[in-house]
Amino acid sequence: MRADACSRGWLALAWLLGANVALAHGERNQEPFLRMRTAQFYDVSWSTDHIAVNENVVVTGRFRLFEDWPANLPQPDRVFIGNGTPGPVLARVESYINGAPAIQSGRLQLNRDYEFKTVLKGRIPGRHHVHPMLNVEGAGPLLGPGQWLEVSGDHRDFKLSLTTIDGTQIDNLETWGVDTVVRWEGFWILMALVFVGWWLRRPLLMTRLRALELGHEEALVTRADRRFGAVFLVSTVLAVFGAATWAEQKYPRTIPLQAGQFRVEPLPREAQEIRVTVKRATYDVPGRAMKLQVEIHNPLDRPLQVGEFMTSNLRFVNHALPAAMARVEASYPAELLPRTGLTLPDSTPIAPHETRAMLIEATDAVWETERLTSLLSDPDNRVGGLLFLYDDAGQRSIANVSGAIVPVFVGS
Amino acid sequence: MTKAVGPEAGGEYIEIYGVRWSRWAAKLSAQVDIIISLIIVLAVTAAFHLHFMLLAGDWDFWVDWKDREYWVTLTPIVAITFPAALQYVLWEKFRLPIGATLAITGLMVGAWIARFFGFHLWSYFPFSLVWPALMIPGALVLDCVLLLTGNFFITAVIGGMGFAVLFYPSNWPMLAAYRLPVEVMGSLVSVGDYIGYAFTRTATPEYLRFIERGTLRTFGGHSAWVSSAFAGFVCVLTYLLWWHIGMLLSRVTTLPNRWRHLFGYPRERPPQTASPAVPRDAS
Repeated sequence: MRADACSRGWLALAWLLGANVALAHGERNQEPFLRMRTAQFYDVSWSTDHIAVNENVVVTGRFRLFEDWPANLPQPDRVFIGNGTPGPVLARVESYINGAPAIQSGRLQLNRDYEFKTVLKGRIPGRHHVHPMLNVEGAGPLLGPGQWLEVSGDHRDFKLSLTTIDGTQIDNLETWGVDTVVRWEGFWILMALVFVGWWLRRPLLMTRLRALELGHEEALVTRADRRFGAVFLVSTVLAVFGAATWAEQKYPRTIPLQAGQFRVEPLPREAQEIRVTVKRATYDVPGRAMKLQVEIHNPLDRPLQVGEFMTSNLRFVNHALPAAMARVEASYPAELLPRTGLTLPDSTPIAPHETRAMLIEATDAVWETERLTSLLSDPDNRVGGLLFLYDDAGQRSIANVSGAIVPVFVGS
Repeated sequence: MTKAVGPEAGGEYIEIYGVRWSRWAAKLSAQVDIIISLIIVLAVTAAFHLHFMLLAGDWDFWVDWKDREYWVTLTPIVAITFPAALQYVLWEKFRLPIGATLAITGLMVGAWIARFFGFHLWSYFPFSLVWPALMIPGALVLDCVLLLTGNFFITAVIGGMGFAVLFYPSNWPMLAAYRLPVEVMGSLVSVGDYIGYAFTRTATPEYLRFIERGTLRTFGGHSAWVSSAFAGFVCVLTYLLWWHIGMLLSRVTTLPNRWRHLFGYPRERPPQTASPAVPRDAS
C-alpha cells in the first residue's frame, strides 16, 4: 500500500508539473528490426482484464523465433520467458513453454514455434500494462503485445504461500525471513555503535592529532581500550559462529541456488510448409502503406486464402475472410489491430500446388504511431512478419515473410 | 584523560591526553571535531556506497544472487577497500581504531536507505528479495586486530583473512531460510530462487545471474569455505593496496600559486639554491 501510494504520489507530482507521463514500457522505442524479425508472438490472450489482489491472470499464446533472425544478434541459446510489467506489480506464479516448467532459462530454436503460458498473481493495485516477453541473452527483452490490466484491492492483503520439501510452511514469501534479517543486522549495527561509541565519548580529532604529534601515544590507547578490543574480538567471533551453528540446526536441509537450464522441444512443424518469396517490398512514406509484392506457393491439396499479415504484434487482418476474423480474440489490444486491415487486390483463393504472384497492402497510420517507420533509417533495411493463410475449412497455415524494403517518398 | 590544570585559578586550562589546552581552544576543537566527523561519515558513506554498488551490485541486491562462490568471493574483496583506507587515516593520524567499523556501518546504513526508498517504495520489491549483506562482524575484527597489534601488516594478514572468512557465516543465520528446498512446477529450487522468480525484475532475467555453476564440487561441496579462503587471500593484498591509497589521499601537499600576482599579491620567488650559480667563465 505504501509502495502504491508512493507511485501515485510521483505520478500526481508529474501531472502537476505538466509532464507527459508514459504509462507503458517504451516498447515502441525498440528498434524496428528487433520487433519485426525476432520473436513473433501470435494467438496471445489474457484470461481477464481485471483482477483483485491475490487473484490470477493467465497469459497464453505462441511465438515463433523468426527464421530471418538479425545477424547482429546472438542466437537464442539462452532464453527466459518473462513478463513485461512495471516491476513486480504482479507475482509470477508459474510459467511454461510447451508445457515444460520455465522457471529457468533454456535454448530455443530458430524458425520453430513454441506455446507459452504464464500465471501472474495480482500484487500492487493499479492499472498495469502486461506483456508476454522473451529475454534472449545478448539480445535483451523482446516484447509481445501488451494489454491493460486493472488490479484492485489492497497490497497489504497480498500473500504468496509455499510449503518447502521438508514441510516448512511459508505464510508469505514477501516477508519470509525478513524478521531475522532485521533483528540480526540491527543487533550488529548496535554492536558497531557500541564499539564506535567507546571511542567517540572522548575528545576526538584535533586533540588526538596534537597528542599524537607530541608522542603521547599511551594516553590515546590505554590498557582498558585494549582489553575492550580483545573482549569485542572474541565476542564477535563467538557470536558469528554461534549464530551460524544455530541456523545450521534450525535449517539442516538446505540447497544451493539452482543454475540449471531447461530443455524443451519445439512444436511439430507443419506437414507441408507454405513458401512465400518477397519479390519487392516498399514503404510508401506519405501514404503510410507497406506494399509487399510476393510469390506464394501452395503445396497443399486444398485452396488457400491470405487472412492476416502480422509483424511487431500488429495484426493486419483480411476483413473479407471470416476464418481470419474469427481468430481475432476479443481481448487483443485494439491499438494493435489496424482498422483498415489487409488489402488484397486479388483475393481469389490460391489453388492447390499453384504458385501465385500477388500484392499485399497494409496501410495505416499505425506504422507511424508504433514508430516502425524508423526502419528506414536502419543499417539493415529488412522487413519481417508472419503471413496467416486459411483453407476453405478454416484451417490455418503460417508462413514467414521477409525481404529487403525500399522507401517511397513520392506518393504513388 | 581530561583534567583541569595550571596554577591559574578557575582552571582556565585543561589537560587532554597529556597536552595542555585552554578551555576556549578545547571547546572550539570539539566543535570542529563534530563538523569534520559529520562530513567524513557522510562522504565515506556516499562514496563507499557508490563504489560497492558498482562492483558488488547485483550480488548484494538480490537474494537469488547470493551464491556460495561469486558472492562470497567478490563481496569481501570490494568491501575491504574503504575500511583499509579509512583505517590508515584514523589510526595513523588520530590513533582511532574505528575506520573499518565506521566505513562498513556507513555502507550498511546507506544500503538500507537505498533498499527502502529505491527498491521497496519506488520499485515494489519485497525486503525478502533485496536485503543487503552483513559485513559488520568482519569490520569489528579488522578494527580490533589493528587496536591490539598496532601493526598494519598483521592487520592485513589476520584481519583481512578474518574479514573474508567471517563473511559467509555471519550471513548464514539470515540466508539459511532462503536456501530451503522447494518443489515448484516439478522442479527443485531454493526458496531464494523462487522469490527471485516470483517478484519480476523485468530487465534482469534469470540467465543474467552470475552464480555458482558447480565448478568447486571437487571440494566436497564446501564451495563457500573454499571461496572464503580465496577471498581472504585477495583481501590481504587489497587491504595493503588500499592502506597505501589512504596514505596517499591523506598526504597534504601544496603547489606554488603562479597566479597570485593577478590578485594583487607579490610574485612568489623561486626558492634559494644551496650554492650560487657558477659563472660561465669560471674555469
